[in-house]
Amino acid sequence: MKDINIVIEICGSAGEGTISAGEILSRFMSGQGFEIMSFDSYPAEIRGFGKCVAHTRISTSRIYSPGKLADVLIALNDKHSIFQLSTLKENGILIYDSQPVRPHKEDKSVVGWTKPGMISYGIPLNMLAHKATGNARGMNMVALGALAALFYVDKHGFTDSIKARYAKKKQIVIDSNVNSFLEGYSWTKKNIKKIDPYSFKGITSPKQKEKLIINGNQLVAKAALDANLSFYAGYPITPATKIMEILSRELPKHGGILLQTEDEISAIGAVIGAGFGGKRAMTATSGPGFALMTEFTGLSVMAEVPAVIIDSQRAGPSTGMPTKTEQSDFNSAVSGGTGDCPRIVLAPTDTKSCYEATVLALYLAEKYQTLVVLLLDFFLSNSIRNINIPEKPFSEYLDANIAPDKNDLKDYQRYKITKNGISPRAIPGTPGGMFFSTGLEHDASGRPNYSEAGHLEMTQKRFRKFNTVLSEAPAPEISIIDRDEFDIGVISWGSSAGAAHEAAMSAQKKGINASSFSSMMVSPFPEKALIEFADKCKKILIPELNFSGQFANFATQILKRHVERLNFITGRPMASEDILQKMKEM
Amino acid sequence: MPFNDHYVIIGNGPAGNHAAIILREKDKEAKITIISDECVPYYYKPKLTDFIADEIAKEDLMVSFLDSYKAKDIRIRLGQEVERIDPESKTLFLQHMEKVNYSKLIIASGSRARLLPPMSCYANHLKFVTSYTDVIEVKEEIKKLKSFFIFGGDLVGFKFLRMLNSMDKTVTILICPNAFWPYNLTDDMLAQITESLSKFNADIIVKDDISTIDEQNGSYRVKTQKGIEKNVDMVFSFNGLNPNIEFAKGSGIDIDHGILVNEYLKTNIDGIYACGSCAQIYHPNIRSYTTSIGWPNAVVQGEVAAFNLLGDHKIMESVGRKYFDLEGVKIKTTWWEDIDDES
Repeated sequence: MKDINIVIEICGSAGEGTISAGEILSRFMSGQGFEIMSFDSYPAEIRGFGKCVAHTRISTSRIYSPGKLADVLIALNDKHSIFQLSTLKENGILIYDSQPVRPHKEDKSVVGWTKPGMISYGIPLNMLAHKATGNARGMNMVALGALAALFYVDKHGFTDSIKARYAKKKQIVIDSNVNSFLEGYSWTKKNIKKIDPYSFKGITSPKQKEKLIINGNQLVAKAALDANLSFYAGYPITPATKIMEILSRELPKHGGILLQTEDEISAIGAVIGAGFGGKRAMTATSGPGFALMTEFTGLSVMAEVPAVIIDSQRAGPSTGMPTKTEQSDFNSAVSGGTGDCPRIVLAPTDTKSCYEATVLALYLAEKYQTLVVLLLDFFLSNSIRNINIPEKPFSEYLDANIAPDKNDLKDYQRYKITKNGISPRAIPGTPGGMFFSTGLEHDASGRPNYSEAGHLEMTQKRFRKFNTVLSEAPAPEISIIDRDEFDIGVISWGSSAGAAHEAAMSAQKKGINASSFSSMMVSPFPEKALIEFADKCKKILIPELNFSGQFANFATQILKRHVERLNFITGRPMASEDILQKMKEM
Repeated sequence: MPFNDHYVIIGNGPAGNHAAIILREKDKEAKITIISDECVPYYYKPKLTDFIADEIAKEDLMVSFLDSYKAKDIRIRLGQEVERIDPESKTLFLQHMEKVNYSKLIIASGSRARLLPPMSCYANHLKFVTSYTDVIEVKEEIKKLKSFFIFGGDLVGFKFLRMLNSMDKTVTILICPNAFWPYNLTDDMLAQITESLSKFNADIIVKDDISTIDEQNGSYRVKTQKGIEKNVDMVFSFNGLNPNIEFAKGSGIDIDHGILVNEYLKTNIDGIYACGSCAQIYHPNIRSYTTSIGWPNAVVQGEVAAFNLLGDHKIMESVGRKYFDLEGVKIKTTWWEDIDDES
């Protein structure tokens, strides 16, 4: 079997079908058995004609990161694509509109900016779209047709994917899109002399099990439903809104309730209220919303009420860059808020682990009666992968409340001091299970108590719960474990982990003895495992998407040694190529 | 001067590239742009057959690497075709509907494969080895296929024949007297060439012409006027070159077969020069226009055009090799000159 590993970007203006074309391409390639990872970027503004880019990596091998540079750029819009050319490889391929409606002034055409070494194929996208549909709306499908013709992609399979994408639309919409695709395909076959090396001809991928094509937000929503979520409160915010959108439709079908509140403060308040009432409850937000929720998170910890917050990070601070990815909420997620406020923080490292992390978050919040923060980011929320359909959670993950038994209820103490810090939790309405609950420091019964000994005892209890949390989390992922020594160890978290893992594997092929380490559980952190890994490494590199090296600072406190840092705030996901380059320089 | 000059060169071959180098050497400030409809940087066309046979890699084909343009601050627009010139507004209209303005222009657009008029109805059945794009299209196919028909027989054609022989392919060649346009080979020359080619394992046909080419299930049946029939996998045409000057038609630039220039390589329009195989150069001694061939001539013409564009008055004189060896037959590269000795 021949291999292929190709990154295709479609760049257009909002409203030109850029994202739809990328979605069709991803779904078709997934159906053909290829691994795919796709990621869209689009303007934050709802109105206007901002730049949209659909980025899709297609491979016969496992994909860990989206790839920094594109092999192919399809330019649906010259103005935006001129800037996007900077992400096209030096020997990349440009597919552009060779017959636009109006002539370009000098340097206003994307092909005018191609660098030597790039291959450009001019296709009359606009003209062919008009021929097929009578207007320019089919340009995206004409471009896909050209792509299919150039790379020997199965024409019939592709048209089936287009039909499936628009199956719920009127027949005229389906026909317009299919006809546009076929116009692009035929014209290209007839008129373009192919001189690039890319071809899907003869490349077959082994038949795989049915795959789920899904992004992180969709998977979080699915996992929450599978894990018996019964209450969701939230206020829309990019990039987390999709979670609420899905749950607003699906949660009532599962007997749950979704409440759209007036702001994020109300949302977390409602979640804590529902948690207090014994419901599995969560909210989803982004950095600015999480900042508003921070004060309330202390109540979850102090009153020991389960609450789950999904924080899909975006570039900040403040409103920042809503549609750009960043990993800059680490500090606020792990230690934001007042007082000594221990909480569990999970950071899934790829799309697939968003499912596991969400199930785990609801389970841990309930079992440990505390706040759990799940850190996604714009990239994880929106990047689409084809993954095996996740197995439903085991029953023990669906009901984890440690309820009081008869003895406990004789003289019920909601905050009873226990060895593991977890006190039996009576759901309001439980006979004999009445208790006080407050944000004030309290004694075992829940009554306010400000004594030195009492505050110490309760603080110790709240922290003691975390001694056993680590045993519930998946073990850290280490790319190579059967060696005693590495020249470089790459330690990463969240969505950067895939790129770090890929970079470490690439480094091995280039003669650099490297391994990578990442952990979904970031608070409490598996410190012992981290130290053991680091002790094997001569040098440590920590790549992350924030300016100040928030995780690197955190890790340095654990490791007590120098670590090399690699920080980007470009708004784009971490690239394995950049990590590898840094490793070469170390 | 509020803006720097913008020198635009149409063509990315030896004439165009050497013109650009001189322009940059002599004018450090000007904006220099090369526009070429080919997608690859400056490469050595005579080595295309070696590239097909995998005797050299793509890198070995390249004369100028991408970094060298960057170092010289020469902008190169590859894969972009000039559609027309408007000398009045000093504007080039590119095929993708972009306008490019120039201060002065050098046309070094070279040539493309010459298709004999009677063969135009079979154009879709014919393959060429004139450009990198042509070659990439057929390179892998040639390795797989067995039998080939060569129609014509210019310099590249004979080189291609040798290459196919080295690859143990079955070859038929029909030699046309006018394949080495603008020469017409005499009977004596044809006999000498035929004799020379007899050492190759090829069927040689002379004094005949193609009657029909029919496609049958991906292969071709070639019939000659004298009734010879050959079933082959691919048919190649090697009948010399035609200047690439369609974009200049209607612009007011004087054109005959190529673009007409004086001995200073200047066209009839101020600020526009032409050089290389797309140009017909006035020769005062014979009082007529000539087209020189060969890489060394193109290099010098490019340089002369650049010097003169900058205000010099250099007269184009032929240089380098004076003869081509066409399978034992010597053909002068500048046949109008009275030079007998090969230099």
